[in-house]
Order: sequence, then C-alpha cells, then structure tokens
Amino acid sequence: MAEEVRVVTKRMREHTEDSWTLQRVLDTGGYDGARKAVVEMAPEELGGEVKSSGLRGRGGAGFPTGVKWSFVPADVSPKYVVVNHDEGEPGTFKDRELGERDPHQLLEGMIIAARAVGANKAFIYCRGEFALGSRRLDQAIRDAYGAGFLGEGIFGSDFDFDIVLHRGAGAYICGEESALLDSLEGFRGQPRLRPPFPAVKGLYGQPTVINNTETLSTLPHLILNGSEWFRQWGTEKSPGTKIFSVSGHVNRPANYEVPLGTSLADLLELAGGMQNGKEPKAIIPGGASAPLLTSTDVALDFESLQEAGSMLGSGGVVFMDETTCMVRNTLVTTEFFEHESCGKCTPCREGTWWAVKVLERIEHGDGRQEDMDLLLDICNGMDGRSFCPLGDAASWALRSGVKTFRDEFEQHVAEGSCPFGGGERVHVGARVGATGLGEAGITSQPAAGIDADSEPEAAQP
Amino acid sequence: MTRRYQATGGDIDEQNGYRNVFDDEQQAWADAIVAKYPNPRSAVLPLLFLVQSVEGYVTEDGMRTVANMIGLTPAQILASGSFYTMLKKQPQGEYLISVCRNISCTHRGAYDVIQALSERLGTDAGNTTADGRFTFETAECLATCDGAPSIQINYDDFYDVTPQDAVALVDKLERGEEVRSAAGERVRTVREISFETATAGARLPGTAGDHRARTVGGEAQPSDFLPDSRPKLSHDEGSHSG
Ligand SMILES: Cc1cc2nc3c(=O)[nH]c(=O)nc-3n(C[C@H](O)[C@H](O)[C@H](O)COP(=O)(O)O)c2cc1C
Ligand code: SF4
Ligand code: FES
Repeated sequence: MAEEVRVVTKRMREHTEDSWTLQRVLDTGGYDGARKAVVEMAPEELGGEVKSSGLRGRGGAGFPTGVKWSFVPADVSPKYVVVNHDEGEPGTFKDRELGERDPHQLLEGMIIAARAVGANKAFIYCRGEFALGSRRLDQAIRDAYGAGFLGEGIFGSDFDFDIVLHRGAGAYICGEESALLDSLEGFRGQPRLRPPFPAVKGLYGQPTVINNTETLSTLPHLILNGSEWFRQWGTEKSPGTKIFSVSGHVNRPANYEVPLGTSLADLLELAGGMQNGKEPKAIIPGGASAPLLTSTDVALDFESLQEAGSMLGSGGVVFMDETTCMVRNTLVTTEFFEHESCGKCTPCREGTWWAVKVLERIEHGDGRQEDMDLLLDICNGMDGRSFCPLGDAASWALRSGVKTFRDEFEQHVAEGSCPFGGGERVHVGARVGATGLGEAGITSQPAAGIDADSEPEAAQP
Repeated sequence: MTRRYQATGGDIDEQNGYRNVFDDEQQAWADAIVAKYPNPRSAVLPLLFLVQSVEGYVTEDGMRTVANMIGLTPAQILASGSFYTMLKKQPQGEYLISVCRNISCTHRGAYDVIQALSERLGTDAGNTTADGRFTFETAECLATCDGAPSIQINYDDFYDVTPQDAVALVDKLERGEEVRSAAGERVRTVREISFETATAGARLPGTAGDHRARTVGGEAQPSDFLPDSRPKLSHDEGSHSG
C-alpha cells in the first residue's frame, strides 16, 4: 500500500482548520529553522548544507538549489531573493495550496535563502489570480513583522530582512524566471537573453536568487534536520520528497507528497485509482509541457522520467482514461501555449498559432491526410529554435500527442469527424474567451485562418 | 518621488489634458504602492489595478494618471498593461466569471459548464451581459485542477462545479445575495477585488510593516532608485525623467 511522506505538507494536512495562522505555526515548530539559520549558522554553512542535500528546484527545471546560490557574487550589493509563486503550468496546483495553507513556511524558507546569499529584501511574485493565497500571504507577512521575524534585526540578530508581496496580472510566461523579472520591473513579461543569469544580474540588474515556492518551503525542514536526514528519501540524484499534483480521471484528485522515485502506479493508487475502474490511456507526468506517457510503470524522479522520454517538470500529473479524445487534448494544450506565447520570437508565436489552426480542422472533421506530418514539421520549426523554453515545451507536447496517438488523429481525418463526439464544441477556445486589456502575446491574428480552400498567403493580414 | 502633477481626483489637469482619476485617499494608496519598490516603474501593474478599482476598468485617463505619476509616457504604460489578461480595457461586469478550459477541467466537464453559463447569461464567453452585471470568460489552468471543473468569480475559487451549480451561482448573485467560495470567502465585486490586488503588500506610512524608510531611504530622490535592468534605447532617455 502506497503511503505519503509528509514533510512540506505536514502542517497543512494535520491542521486543516488553521495551518496558516501564526499561532498554529508557532505551536508546530514554525520559524525554528529560520531562527537556527539566522542565529546559529553562518551563511556559508547554510549554502553548504543545501548543496550537500542535493535539493533540486521544484519549479520545473530541477536545477540544484545550492549550486544556483553559489553563483551569487559575494561582493555585490544589494542582492535580492524572488519567490516564483506564479504557478500556471496546467495540471499543477501545489504552490497555490502551499501559499494558501502554509504561507509562514514559505516566509521561513525565504529568510533562510536570503541569509545564505546575503539579501536583505525579497519579493514574492504571486500569481494575479490567487486571491485567497495573496490574502493569506499578506496576513502572514504582517504577523511575521509583528513577531519580529521580519524587519530590523530579526530574531535579535543584526540581520535585517524585508518581504514585499507583488501580484502578477495574468500571464503564464511570467513564471519563466527572466520574464518574471521583467514583469516585476513593470514591463511586458517577456524572457530575457541569458547569460547573464539572474544570480549574477537579475532584478534591477542586481544579483538575484529566484526559487520556486515548494523549493523554499522545503528549506526550514532541511536546515533544522540536516542534509543526511533529507537524503533518507528519494534517489542519489533526486533526493527528498516532492509534492505531486494529481488530477484528471482519478477518484481523489489532490496534492500528494511522496519520496522522489515513487512509482507512478503507487501515485495513482494514492489518488484512489482511476474513476469507474477504467484504465489510464495517457498520463502527463510533469505539467502540460511534459510529453505523454502511456504506462504507469515508471519511477517519479528526474532521471527516470527523462529516460522514459518525458520529464518531471513541475510535478503536475494528469491521468486520462480511454474516453479521452487525444486530438482534443492536444488541441487544448496547444491552444494554451498559443494563448500564452509572449510573441517575442517567431517560431513560437507563429508555430503555436498555425498548429492550433491545423488541430482545429482535424478535430472538427476537416483534417487532411498530410496534416499529421505538417504538425510534426511545425514542431521541428519550434523545438530548439525558440527564444525560451515555452516554445520548446509547446513542440514537445504537440509532437508527443501526434506521435503517440497518430492512429486517433488518422481516424479523425478518415471519418471526417471526432470519434469521441467532441467535434461540435467549437465555441470555446483560448482565443475566444479572454477579455483582457490585451492578452499575453500577439493574439489578434487574422480571423480567416487556413481552412480547406485558403492558401496560407491569403490568410496573412 | 517622481510625481509630477498636482491635480486631484476628478480634476482636469489643464496642462496635460486628462482627468486625474485618484482622489486623496486613493493617491495615498498609490504612493504606498510605489513605496514598495526600489524603482517606481515596478508599480505600474498594481497602479493599473488601482485604476481598475476606481474606474471599473483601465481607462485612458487612468493610464495617463499613472504615467504622469511615475514619470513614464502613456505609451509605456499601455505597452506594459496590454500584456496582461487581468487588466481590462472594456467596461466590465460587476462579477467576472472565469471558467477554466484547460486539460484537467476539460476532461471533467468544463464544456458543459461553459455551455450552461452561455445559455444562462445569453452571451458567449468573452462578453459582458447587457445589464452590466456579469462578464464571462474562459481561463487557462487556474491551479485548482483538484477541483476540476473549477471556476473563479472575481478570482475566488469554486470547485467541482456542475452546470447546475454555475447557473445557481449566477441566480444568487443576480438576486443580490452573498456568495461564498469553496474556501468560504465572500465573493468580491470587480472594484473590490481590483483594489485588493492593487494594494496587496502595500502599507500606508507608519503602519506595521512599512519598511520604506529603512530599505529605500525615506524620501529618496529619483537618483537613488535602482535602474531597471533593461538596456536603454536612445528614445527612452529623457522621457518624463524628472
Ligand atoms: C514557460 C515557463 C513557465 C514557468 N513557470 C514556472 C512557474 O509557474 N513556477 C515556477 O516556480 N517555475 C516556473 N518555471 C521555471 C522557472 O523559470 C525557474 O526555473 C524556477 O522558478 C526556478 O526555481 P527552482 O530552482 O526553485 O525550481 C517556468 C519556466 C518556463 C520556461
Ligand atoms: S518561445 Fe514563445 S514565450 Fe518564449 S520568448 Fe519566444 S514567443 Fe515568447
Ligand atoms: S486545468 Fe482547470 S484548474 Fe487546472
């Protein structure tokens, strides 16, 4: 029987009524890790402990946190810590829950990171749509100031530390760290050319550590108990526990914290198995950017998933049963990337847009025999040729949909309709619904698009 | 501070030809927002949310007010603001209903919810009802896939929403009854939630957690502000710089 190992999710699971309040936090060992970091440990020791723990970033890229911190130059000031709380990867909802249910744990992790790199000011980039999470974070910050955990000389030391809560305004790309910085500086959230990396030149051109909410929320436990303790879970290269967000056609969709290296089958069992006793047909193991799997016989760690041709990504796991139309799934995913493409580079801006057009006509029964190859060709035009990983990710998701379920695509074309009956649902699409001042990227494309008898040239504005 | 104008709420700024949208109290909040950051430009998005809370949406006068306040051109404000879906250029309904259309929700019935709302509101996604009560839009993953299909009303979450639930929520709001989210939060109006988003993390001077004096240097002069880290284009130089 699969079981959770609750480290980061312990408080919020054991105290569902009030895990976000300062009182409950103090009753359950809260701020002990931060106090230890500030009062008992030297900054170099902190960095060393995190490095030897092998903790890898939980935001998607899996970069070793201690190594990232070590790139921060010691002699430049001011430095900043920025929390990436912009969670928007489809299928991922762990950071949202951590922010809503255990905001103090995040603040504690921020204190530790700031102490380690010598930053006196930090920003939380909180996704704009997270109203409840923002309220809870704002209250937690107030309470932490009141208790002397933030502000001047925290924990009676000579270390000053301030946290500023900043809200996003609706753009997935702002989760990409360099776009996040541009957004935080008041610009359109478009990725920056790297190098220089944020650790060297980040916010306002100053050295900046950017970490994910879950990464930082792990730190209090790691510092309190040591890197050996942390390494009792997980694998050599993927140590520790990780929160997986499980959704889709399962009986109990929720966040589950398990040791890295746990099998996908065990995770499915934790989530109560598939609805109606069905079998999983496709699984997204790490957010919509991750290529599809068709078997649960794989271990959930960075290396194993890479070997299986996919990635751990953000830990958003979506199970789909045999009633799922994989053309529809690919269309929805690609529409997402098209909508969120920031428009800065041509391969991603144009590639996602054309791919949506082609997918739409397949799903609605107007597909052509050559469309599958056309889609793969579009993927080749984006993969490795885009300015930032969003364009790559869009091509991975699309390519894996077409390659893994090519028979279903061909069936759509051959029958001239969606075998799952989804074809008439034409009234929704990312480009139809959003009502913003503008949307992320270039979305007001020609309405005509490519249909059965228009030439691509004719569709240009 | 780089604030340049003297006009107050509702006044027409004769010199610059626009209506300042902030009254004194709103201006105090605007100042508190700017004070959060080492560089006032970082305040652009929260200030546009403040405009939205006052005006109902991001008006041109509002953008000019913000531009003049932090020493940027209106075009620079529009360039930044137009990137983001939560800042609205059209008049909005009192309640913005956002239905997630991403994978987990799609696979658990989001289309039926969208269909039911379209019929109940008499409009397709992307529009505002004729009476100005509701704006209805589809949204990308709201990070509430554990409650799929999920929706937000003015950014508070509702889980496991059936088509009947969605219609019942609209009925309740239309009758003027209080509606509470999955977490028990009172659903805000569009102006309330915009104000909350604008002022998140902002502290009026002298209140707990007002750390401006220490880390930014009190009434710092513009030259003390850190630069933004974008390469400067020659035509950026000298634009409203003082
Ligand atoms: C398109 C795109 C979207 C991303 N979205 C997020 C996000 O929502 N949250 C996050 O923590 N990281 C996100 N990332 C990864 C960040 O760029 C960055 O690697 C991460 O925040 C670093 O923190 P970590 O080392 O603690 O994981 C995204 C990356 C890309 C390319
Ligand atoms: S790959 Fe897409 S999101 Fe990234 S810079 Fe290019 S257009 Fe923008
Ligand atoms: S897919 Fe709908 S909330 Fe994530």
